[in-house]
Amino acid sequence: MSVRPTESVVVTGIGVIAGPHVGVDAVREAMGASTAATTLVEQGKGLHVPGASQRAVLCAGIDWPALVPPGVARRMSVPSRFAVAAARLARRDALLPADPEGERTAVVMSTAFGPVESSEQILDTVMTDGPQVASPFVFAESVANAAAGQVAIDTGSRGPNITVIQREAGSLTAVRRGVALVASGAADRVLAGVVDHASPVLHAVLGRFDALARPEADGAEVARPFDRDRSGFLLGEGACVVVLERESGARARGAPIRARVAGGGGAFDPTAPRVGWGHGDGPMADAIARSLDDAGVPVDAVPRIVSGASGAVDGDRLEGRVLRRLWGSRPLPTVLAPKAQFGQFGGGFLAASLLAVAGGRFAPTPGFRTEDPDVAVCPYEGGALGAAARVLSLTLASGGSAAWLLLELL
Amino acid sequence: MPLTPSAGVFFGSSTGGLLETERYYEQLVQPGGRARRGWLASHHLSAPAESIARATGLTGPVETISSACASATLAIAQARDAVAAGEVAVAIAGGADCLATITYTGFNSLRAVDESPCRPFRVSRAGLSLGEGAGVLVLEREDDVLARGATPLMIVHGGGSSCDAGHMTAPHAEGMWAANAITAALGQSGLDADAVTYVNAHGTGTPLNDAAEQATLQRVFGGRAADLPVEATKAVLGHLLGAAGAVEAVAVALALSEGVLHPAPAAEEEDVLAVDLVRGAPRRVPELDTAVSISLGFGGANAALVLGRWHA
Repeated sequence: MSVRPTESVVVTGIGVIAGPHVGVDAVREAMGASTAATTLVEQGKGLHVPGASQRAVLCAGIDWPALVPPGVARRMSVPSRFAVAAARLARRDALLPADPEGERTAVVMSTAFGPVESSEQILDTVMTDGPQVASPFVFAESVANAAAGQVAIDTGSRGPNITVIQREAGSLTAVRRGVALVASGAADRVLAGVVDHASPVLHAVLGRFDALARPEADGAEVARPFDRDRSGFLLGEGACVVVLERESGARARGAPIRARVAGGGGAFDPTAPRVGWGHGDGPMADAIARSLDDAGVPVDAVPRIVSGASGAVDGDRLEGRVLRRLWGSRPLPTVLAPKAQFGQFGGGFLAASLLAVAGGRFAPTPGFRTEDPDVAVCPYEGGALGAAARVLSLTLASGGSAAWLLLELL
Repeated sequence: MPLTPSAGVFFGSSTGGLLETERYYEQLVQPGGRARRGWLASHHLSAPAESIARATGLTGPVETISSACASATLAIAQARDAVAAGEVAVAIAGGADCLATITYTGFNSLRAVDESPCRPFRVSRAGLSLGEGAGVLVLEREDDVLARGATPLMIVHGGGSSCDAGHMTAPHAEGMWAANAITAALGQSGLDADAVTYVNAHGTGTPLNDAAEQATLQRVFGGRAADLPVEATKAVLGHLLGAAGAVEAVAVALALSEGVLHPAPAAEEEDVLAVDLVRGAPRRVPELDTAVSISLGFGGANAALVLGRWHA
C-alpha cells in the first residue's frame, strides 16, 4: 500500500560510502564505470567453499580518519563507523551548520544484517574463553540499532530514533518512514538511510547459500542484473544517509534540493519462501499501481526506473515481471540497475536512486549481455541521460518484502 | 476476519532468529565446517514479521523495527500511524524475541543481570531477569471494528519517541529525553498529562534504568508522579527485550478492560523509589482510563504509547 506525504518533503543532502566510492561525486563517477570495483575478501577463517565467490565491493582504501576521527570511532563497530561517516557527509552535502541537530531531528536507519562481526566476536569469545569474558562494548555494538544510536550521538539528534529491518527493501522503507516523520510533524529533519558491512563470514555464508555471483571461466566475478546468464549478486558494503526536510524549510535556508519524495509504498509476497523470492508479481504490481494512482502519477509519466535487480536469479525474474505487469503492453522506460556497480547491500543503491533524478553519464549496465526471455527487461545501454521528471526506485527483498519510492525533480 | 491487500504487519524484534543463527555458526566454525542451512533460514530480524505475513497470506507492507528493547512499542506506534493514515486498514502489530547466548552473555557482561528474580523500582534492585516471548495486537479503525460487529479492546491514542543521544547503553540519568517521548505520545493523542491514570513502566530492575525512569515520570507528571499507579510487568514476566512493549501493551489492554492492575511480587513494607508501585496483590482502580506504556532501549531509543479504555 502507499504512503503519500501530505506535505512536500525533499532530500537536501546525500552522504554515501558505496564500497570504495566515497561521496556523491565518486558514486556518480562509478555509475559511469563499466565494471564493479571488487576486492578479494579475507578468508582467514577458511569458511569459503571452493567455486564460490571470492570478491565483494568492499570499502577498501578509504581514509577513515578523515571521515570519522579515531577518537570518535574508537568504540564503534564497522557498520556504526560507516553510518556515522555517511551522516557527516550528508549533513555537509545539505549545507547544514556544524551545530548539533537537537530534539527535532530524527534518525531512521536500516540494515539487512546488522553488526554481524560483533555477534561473531562474542560467539568466538564464548566458544574459546567462556561467557564471562565477553566485552560489554562489543555487546553494545552488536545490536541492530547501534548505527542509528551512534549517528544520533555524533549528530546530537534527539528526535525519534528508529531502525528498520526489511532485508534488501530496508533502505527505501527507511526513507519512506523518514518522510512520514517529517510530514506528520514528528520531526523537522530526518537523517535516513542504510548501512551494511560485508564481513568475511557473511560473504562465505552467502556463498554457501549460492546467493553470490559465481566466478566465471576467466575468474571474473560479475553481477549480471536481468541477464540470461546471471548467477547471483556481488556483495556490497557501506552506508548512505540522506537529509530529509520540508520543502518550505529547505527553501527558506537556501538548501540544495536533490529530489522530492512524492510517494512510495511497501508490499509483501506471501508466496516467497523464507530464503528466496516467490511468484507474486501480480499483487505487487497492483500495489505499486495503486501507489502511483494515489500520487496522481500515471505509469506513462515515469520516465526512469532504478531497479534493485542485483543478478539474483529468482529475484531479478520477479522484479522484471513486476515491471512488465506495471507497464503492460507499453515499452518500459529507461531501467538503471546500479547494483551491477555497487553490489547488493550498502549505500550504493539508495544513492544511485536519488542521483538518477538529476541524470548524468551512465555506463552500459555492467554484466548485461543477453536478454533473458523469462524476464524481458533490458537495462540501460549506456550514455548521457538528462534530468528525469520522476524516478521510480524499486527493490524486492528475499523473503517476500518489496518497497518503492517515487522521486520527483523540483 | 479476512485480511485484504490493505493489511500489514508492523513488528518489533531485536534478536530475530539469533538462536538458530548461533547454532549454525557454532557448527560452521568446527573442523569440516558443515552447518545445517535450515538453521539460518530464519536468521533475519524481519523473520518473525515475514512468518506472520506468510502464514496469513497478506500482501500489504511488512515492516520490522529493531530498536533494541523499544522495538515493539515503536512498531505499535508505527502501526497506529499506518492505520490512521489509511495506509493499511488492518495492522498486525507487536513483537517477538528469543533469548540467545549472545543476549545473555552480553547483558551479563554489562553486569545488568540479577541472579535473583528482578525487583523493579525497589531500592534493593540489582538487575534484570531476561526472558523471551511474543505479543501481538490487531489494530483497526474504530468504525471498521464496530461495522464488523466486533468490540474494541483498547484505544491506541498515540505514540511518541525520542533518543538520549548520549550513551549506547546507559539512560540519561534525569530522564530528559525519555520524557520527550511521553510528551510526544500525549501530543499525538491530544491528551494532557493529567488525563493519565496509570503507567506501565519499562521497569527493568537495573539501578540505572529505574532511577532514570522515576526521574522521567517526575518530569512529565510533576507532583502526580509519586501517586500514579505504576505496573512493572517485567517483575512477573521478565524482560522480553524487543517483544517487551508488545506484551506490556497486552497487559495494559487487560488492565483497562478489567479495571485491575497486576502486581509486582514485592511486600508492601519494602522500600521503593518514589513511585506508587503496584505490588503484592492486584489493585482494582475503578477510574482506570488512560495509560502510558514506556519502553527504553540501547542506543538511547525511547518510546511511549498512550493507550485508552474503549467506551461504548
